[in-house]
Amino acid sequence: MSTINFAAREINCKIVYYGPGMSGKTTNLKQVFSKVPGHLRGEMVSLATEDERTLFFDFLPLDLGSVQGFKTRFHLYTVPGQVFYNASRKLILRGVDGIVFVADSAPNRLRANAESMRNLRENLAEHGINVRDVPIVLQINKRDLPDALPASMIRAVIDPRGELQLFEAMADKGVGVFETLKTVSRLVLERLSQTK
Amino acid sequence: MIEPSLALYGEAYARVDALIQELLDAAGVRYGLLVDRKGFVLSHKEALWAPRPPALDSVATLVASNAAATAALANMLGERTFSEQIHQGENGTLYVESVGDQALLTLIFDSSVPLGKVKVYSKKTVPQLAAILDELKDLPEIQLDSDFSAGATSLLDDLLG
Repeated sequence: MSTINFAAREINCKIVYYGPGMSGKTTNLKQVFSKVPGHLRGEMVSLATEDERTLFFDFLPLDLGSVQGFKTRFHLYTVPGQVFYNASRKLILRGVDGIVFVADSAPNRLRANAESMRNLRENLAEHGINVRDVPIVLQINKRDLPDALPASMIRAVIDPRGELQLFEAMADKGVGVFETLKTVSRLVLERLSQTK
Repeated sequence: MIEPSLALYGEAYARVDALIQELLDAAGVRYGLLVDRKGFVLSHKEALWAPRPPALDSVATLVASNAAATAALANMLGERTFSEQIHQGENGTLYVESVGDQALLTLIFDSSVPLGKVKVYSKKTVPQLAAILDELKDLPEIQLDSDFSAGATSLLDDLLG
């Protein structure tokens, strides 16, 4: 992963929001976009269909500032969640530094969560990335649904060993959005400073 | 608004900048960018007479994604990649050419500039750019210490509360 552009003294990190269709990946980005002050973020680019389903990706650049002379910047991407868009989903994972997996709390989406997680592992493997080498954070979204499944049940399906950090969220209200992003960013930065 | 840093360190990047500036002057192009395949801007130049450019981060991301999608298409058709892309509109042209396996030279110019002229000049510049990027591969990796992590984390706190 080539994240450090040492000649230009820039560190660029790529964070991808993954998950099944309609789980709230784009909503997460929209919340970040609306709450971060304008001089620290760029424009949000959405390639979506007319009914606002993500077709290729959403993109949002965030500027952290300078750390020890390095301009540090995060690029946030979402993937299209629908099963049949795997070709483009795979492209977006290229060179990823950190992943937020957005799971859906609805009972009828439990299987979709599991399939999306399996798809993520397959796509990472095809890029030659070991799942353990890239920081992944879980976000269980839509906690305000009246029939939301218990978080422990969703976790048992997508993270049976309980290895990943988990956040409960209501992305449309902004709950849990920043906590998730902060955690994945911190994991990415910690990985950068580890001796290679 | 996020723009790439104009203060370039490193002598190699000064040479990249100079090459893109030369190309701009010679071909009459508005904006010239060197973008890596992940969608990050490595270097950019604009002609003095050109209006304010569109958001370069967005341009870079879209160009890189477009190139990735086109490369996937190329693979399906039995090609390794398509090295050149031209998008022509009513008033202007976007011209993208691969620089080695890591970067894309992106040129934006208006309809008064002949495409052929831009092609000729960029074909000359691309191998020179590729050579510089090759040299950069051999530089030692930068080691970041735990101070870096602490500094970055406190900035994160500022940004995300």
